[in-house]
Amino acid sequence: MANLSLRGIVREFGPLRVIHGIDLDVAQGEFVVFVGPSGCGKSTLLRMIAGLDRPDGGDVLIDGVRVNERRAAERGLAMVFQSYALYPHMTVRQNLAFGLENQRMAQAEIDRRIGDAARMLQIEHLLQRKPGQLSGGQRQRVAIGRTVTREPGIFLFDEPLSNLDAELRVQMRVELSALHKRLKATMIYVTHDQTEAMTMADRIVVLRGGRVEQAGSPLELYNRPANKFVAGFIGSPRMNFLDAVTREGRNVVVDDMPPLAVPAAAETSDGEPVTLGVRPEHLGFVETAGLPGTVDIVEQMGGESYVYVTLANGARLTVRRPGQTALSTGDAVRICIEGAAHLFSRAEGEPAIAPRVRA
Amino acid sequence: MSRGPAALVSRAIDWPFEALQRALGAARMPYVFVAPNLLVFGIFVAAPMILNVWYAVTGGTQLMPGDRPFVGAANFAELLDCTNHFVVATCKQDRFWRAVGNTAWFVVFQVVGLVLISLVTALILNRRMPWRGFFRAVFFYPVLLSPVVVALIWKWILQPDGVLNAVVVANGGTRIPFLLDPSWAFIWTIVVSIWAHMGFYTLILLAGLQAIPSDLYEAAEMDGTAHVRVFWRITMPLLMPNMMVVLVLALIRAVQSFDEIFVLTGGGPGTATQYIVQFIYETAFANQTHILGLAAAASMLVGGVLLVLTLLQLAASAQAKRSEAKR
Amino acid sequence: MPMLFRRTLLAGIAALLPALMPLSARAATEVRIMWYSDGNEGEVARDLLNRFEAANPDVKVILDNVPYKMIMETLPQLVSSGQAPDMARVTDLGGQADAYLDIGPLVKDRAYWEKNYATTLPWLRPAGNTTGIFGMMTGITTTMPIVNETLFQQAGIPLPGPKATWQEWGVATKAVAQKTGAAIPIAIDRSGHRVSGPAISMGAKYFDGENPALVDDGLKTMTKLIYDWHRDGTMSKQIWGSVGGTAYRGANEEFANGQVVLYFSGVWQFPQFAKTIGDGFDWHGVPNPCGPAACSGMPGGAALVGYKSSKHPAEVARVMDFMASEPVMAEYLARTLFLSAHAGIASKGVNYDAKTPQLQKSLAAAQANLLNLSPVAFRLQGYLRNRIMFNALIVRLNQAIAGEMTLDEAWARMTSDVAEGMKAAGVK
Repeated sequence: MANLSLRGIVREFGPLRVIHGIDLDVAQGEFVVFVGPSGCGKSTLLRMIAGLDRPDGGDVLIDGVRVNERRAAERGLAMVFQSYALYPHMTVRQNLAFGLENQRMAQAEIDRRIGDAARMLQIEHLLQRKPGQLSGGQRQRVAIGRTVTREPGIFLFDEPLSNLDAELRVQMRVELSALHKRLKATMIYVTHDQTEAMTMADRIVVLRGGRVEQAGSPLELYNRPANKFVAGFIGSPRMNFLDAVTREGRNVVVDDMPPLAVPAAAETSDGEPVTLGVRPEHLGFVETAGLPGTVDIVEQMGGESYVYVTLANGARLTVRRPGQTALSTGDAVRICIEGAAHLFSRAEGEPAIAPRVRA
Repeated sequence: MSRGPAALVSRAIDWPFEALQRALGAARMPYVFVAPNLLVFGIFVAAPMILNVWYAVTGGTQLMPGDRPFVGAANFAELLDCTNHFVVATCKQDRFWRAVGNTAWFVVFQVVGLVLISLVTALILNRRMPWRGFFRAVFFYPVLLSPVVVALIWKWILQPDGVLNAVVVANGGTRIPFLLDPSWAFIWTIVVSIWAHMGFYTLILLAGLQAIPSDLYEAAEMDGTAHVRVFWRITMPLLMPNMMVVLVLALIRAVQSFDEIFVLTGGGPGTATQYIVQFIYETAFANQTHILGLAAAASMLVGGVLLVLTLLQLAASAQAKRSEAKR
Repeated sequence: MPMLFRRTLLAGIAALLPALMPLSARAATEVRIMWYSDGNEGEVARDLLNRFEAANPDVKVILDNVPYKMIMETLPQLVSSGQAPDMARVTDLGGQADAYLDIGPLVKDRAYWEKNYATTLPWLRPAGNTTGIFGMMTGITTTMPIVNETLFQQAGIPLPGPKATWQEWGVATKAVAQKTGAAIPIAIDRSGHRVSGPAISMGAKYFDGENPALVDDGLKTMTKLIYDWHRDGTMSKQIWGSVGGTAYRGANEEFANGQVVLYFSGVWQFPQFAKTIGDGFDWHGVPNPCGPAACSGMPGGAALVGYKSSKHPAEVARVMDFMASEPVMAEYLARTLFLSAHAGIASKGVNYDAKTPQLQKSLAAAQANLLNLSPVAFRLQGYLRNRIMFNALIVRLNQAIAGEMTLDEAWARMTSDVAEGMKAAGVK
């Protein structure tokens, strides 16, 4: 298994710069997920790692060796494409064998590797079929099988689950995680779905506009987002954001409403405009004080409830309550913070305002 | 939209068809629309084809079918009368067999050349290259030209005092009788024919190439596949349905070659470039005695060959559709 | 059914035509002539016919000038459907001979006709008829060589004399071409009709009694000569080799460009060459080269005929008498530069309106050649199925020249081609 380092990777398409100097390290055996909205450059970055695309600046290092000039096949990588890219006119076995034949491998070795991969992915009974005769999930596994037989230093995945239906996606997420544990392989995984990122990754790299917004473990990103974008991107349902102004002490004021106490208040001066971010599970209902509002919709999932509230100033909030609730549309409620809250500056990049360190 | 001249016109056109539809029912309307074209086809294609069968089994020189005496398979017997089918001189209708032989060689060389050149051109035009749109148009342009124009252009280039010989002479050579020497003339009919038609087949193959998803090539690159292997193991198998269609279409068209060659060499020198369609034309229309029976019989034999090729083409297209659906 | 439809349609059209004519014209008897022109023949004919009308006020002659294509394609249909004009100028003489009007009993002086048009009257007779008079040739053509004398002068070689043989011409022209760099010593139009004249000079008979017999010693001699000439360069592959099958290929362009020393074609080229060459170089017609049997070319030409379906046979005969009379015919030929089919005029010589010395020399030579035409040539030209023989001759000879078969095989094929064609045409 190999490790990967990216140093100052830059990519331009004509006058347009799409990757702005990215630095990144992926340790051996790590499962790293590149996540971000469409157009953030995650696929471009993956292709440059794979060797299908060349960076205009910076270095790609695999196991400490600069591989910019090396062709894709010489980098010791294998890739699962979004559309699987299985050769439609060949059987599954031929698909799996194709890359190995290119390496002039002995037939016995090829057969052994195919056998092992097929067993592991439970596609033994499909070896004689052609891709056109397989279901989506089966094709997915064959594509993964193709990478497994190559025994690469790093596995690359380009949004592999996006063509599957929801149920299958859940199942495949579990299988991919199991595969990772089993092979102890270095895997780099690209997706736009933050759920996949949260569930499978050892580390998540959030990308936006060709820049790394934050890289860290899933919980790190969840609990301590570096900026408003990461805070809003990670976590479902999305974090609630309110425009507020700081007050002395640990308070913020949202418009003309009563001030809210922000636990572990941050370093701000009085009267600074900020964005208050609170996750739905960290909001609660109180009888007095708090922000006044009206209930719009209540979604009862049985194990938990989502209450959608419109505040007096027109802002909308999502509140998550465990269990079931007696609230219904039109009820007047008062909202307060029960748990962590985040403050984000209005400055460029909207970074999180670090909490004041207690003496 | 509901008023204005366009609406008036469409309403005017609509009402007779609506009236017709009320009379016939919606299920029969398609036949109404197909009828005019079918009528033209029937009169000018189907009826003559059927009539041709009558001509093939009758003799004499009369044009009117009713005046022709029935002779059964005599015309076919006459055409096929040879002691040794491979030696033209032993055949009764030596000009027919010479034409068949010429056509057979022509078809083999022309089709192979055409398919190969079209394939190579399509592969090149499939890459990202500057002026790609321009080159695609340039290769297709000869297809748009009338065959007479094509033949005249090349005649001017190839004649003893033409452009090509001017180049040869300027480089110290002697004039080469490109169209007057049997072998040269034969070669040039192939070249001109390929030049005139390759754009069409290049287009078909190009469409086939572009239908191959590009991530297959990326997967192959990740697999470290050499270019030659990519071509033989990925491109060609996926292009094979289109290749079959191109092959059969080219075969059918090659057998029917007449226009360009007639203007370019007139079948000469002697009968070195006289192919089967020209033979039929000469026998039926150019001689003083229009030996229509023989010509009709010959055309039926050619028709039989083309029928076989057409069935092959249908099978090839069906295969192409099936493999498209599977992807 | 299509025949009936066609007839009805044409009948309908024809029935409408009289309704479109002005009333005043109906007073005189009308004779319609469908006429085509290569050059100025239509104008000259109109002029002459005006004089006829002046002398014969009860007859009005309408001359319909139509394109040659119409004569070739539309006229036969009109004739077969019984809608023919009163008279027409035609080139396919034997084609519809059954429809011609026999004016023999109607002309003023039958003996005059039979004496002066003796050689060409048989051409217009339908099969089996040996005495009828069906019209006359509006001038006759003959095939003959045209020489580029300037090239001879440049080479310093004298022009072969009037009795020179084909072989002598072959040697002389080759020498001239070599000295002057001209590309083509001898060019012959690629046509069986053209080759037949020299073949007859070499002794070809074309007929065995009543039956056509293409291949005999005379024909073999001439075809072998042409074959040898193609091999030694006296004749260029450029002319015969550039087309195939039965296609015609003339060498007028090559001759007009000064590339040909001797061009064997015919008198119809003279007006064209007068225009295209002018006096660019010295060209003129020469006597037909000789063989052991004759010094002959082949005759040809268009005829003025009347149709049986005409409503005014007597008037047709009067127009014919007029046009056939010596003074009228002489003037017609003088102005149109055609050769005379009228024996009397031919022996006296036509006083042509030829302006240039080339034309004068050429026409003089042409008239002499006309008088020397072999009777075999006349018979062949008048033979209904001569095209079968011409096609077989040219196709097979060209194949031998192209190397596809030996001359012996070509001759054998010629015989079988002619037999096949005759059989298909229902001829014994």
